[in-house]
Amino acid sequence: MSEEKRIVKSYEEEMQSLNDDLVKMGSLTESQLSDTIQAIVKIDKEAAENIIKNDAQINELRAKIDDQISTVLVKRAPMAIDLRTTISSLKISHDLERIGDLAKSVAKKIEPLPIDLPQELTGSLKRLGELVQKQLNNVLDAYITKSKDKAIEVWRNDEQVDDLTHIAMNEVANFLGKNKKNLELATHLLFVTKNIERAGDHVTNIAESLYYLIEGEYLEGARPKGKEFVKDK
Amino acid sequence: MTNNKVKIKTEKLDVFYGQKQALKNVNLEIFNREVTALIGPSGCGKSTYIRCINRMNDVIETCKISGSIKIDGQEINNKQIDVVRLRERIGMVFQKPNPFPKSIYDNVAYGPQIHGLADHKDKLDQIVQTSLKKSALWEEVKDRLDEPGTSLSGGQQQRLCIARAISVNPEVILMDEPCSALDPIATAKIEELMEELKKTFTIVIVTHSMAQAVRVSQRTGFFHLGNLIEVDTTDKMFKNPNNKMTQDYITGRFG
Repeated sequence: MSEEKRIVKSYEEEMQSLNDDLVKMGSLTESQLSDTIQAIVKIDKEAAENIIKNDAQINELRAKIDDQISTVLVKRAPMAIDLRTTISSLKISHDLERIGDLAKSVAKKIEPLPIDLPQELTGSLKRLGELVQKQLNNVLDAYITKSKDKAIEVWRNDEQVDDLTHIAMNEVANFLGKNKKNLELATHLLFVTKNIERAGDHVTNIAESLYYLIEGEYLEGARPKGKEFVKDK
Repeated sequence: MTNNKVKIKTEKLDVFYGQKQALKNVNLEIFNREVTALIGPSGCGKSTYIRCINRMNDVIETCKISGSIKIDGQEINNKQIDVVRLRERIGMVFQKPNPFPKSIYDNVAYGPQIHGLADHKDKLDQIVQTSLKKSALWEEVKDRLDEPGTSLSGGQQQRLCIARAISVNPEVILMDEPCSALDPIATAKIEELMEELKKTFTIVIVTHSMAQAVRVSQRTGFFHLGNLIEVDTTDKMFKNPNNKMTQDYITGRFG
């Protein structure tokens, strides 16, 4: 990474502000996701409402970042590390926004859930949620420190996310198997599980964009995959 | 991209202007029918380098050159070489359009005449027409060939200079900041033209516009203080250069 400052001060400031906004967006998304995991485990409907409301802030930031990026592209025709930073920021901000959306849609699923959700159903979900939360936290740390190794680690850990998703889904399936009346609840929980897993996929995308930003090359090979849900049913 | 053969091979090139060393051990390969862009801050040696290729530095008395420059394997950096013949093979276009104070027709006809490429008027007419067509100027000047070259706009004058350069069928065209005195439309026309010209000629362009280097070239070399710091495909150079100095220069961190 280049430590020298750019000769054009306003360019330096534009890139700094882009970076700051992306970090801010990252931390907002992080707290939205962690609040969502908390809320689903506790079936906290009030928190869910706040999460739904707060999503707008993430969207606003994304729009601001989009705008900043088009300005940098048209004004500066960025090259090399600046080009990669700009492109990666665009992609990362979109992934963060999607994570925000997924958190919001999980929060929306909390409303119809019964307050006394059986413990057996939330255990794996909680573990999955916490893992994805940790993954997001790690990838944002990696972004701030521009750590290639951390980015790779996050990328590799997606396998664990897939495995936990598989376990959580099996639990819901078993719950449904016990009593067909559980169908509606099970459907909600399957959606929730799937959405959290997809948030994990976006975290992995961010790790890929970050790797490109740092190395100028794409992470090679297919992302590691966990066991497929359907396989051992 | 490098299924191409090397057209110009430079090895251990040192250039001195008096005590000042302008180029330091430059090793560079220019590929056939490609556009190679040379970038770097003012005084870095990029113009000095291209002026070695057609021996333009010969006219500077204090200039001393050592090392090897081979064109198609033939050494051109020695006393035996016929410089006039060399400059027929290596055309040049400069920063400021510099048409001769002659008619549009004569500007283009001059080279073929002195190099004896046309033995009769019809042949000369044909060369002038082809050259002006190749330089994308024909349609604009065909009805005013006897007007002075200097009556044209800046961009047209530059295309006239390109027509003049290609009229003698060169193998290589050297361009020293050919668009720096032109407006964006005239620049676009020259760039468009280069796209066409590179099918026939090997082009080396010195440019201060990074964006232009990206647009027109397949390969880029970065010079700094007389050293060739890095040369690679243009794509690699501007997306992910290997050298930190290249990166700092193209991202505007020094210059």
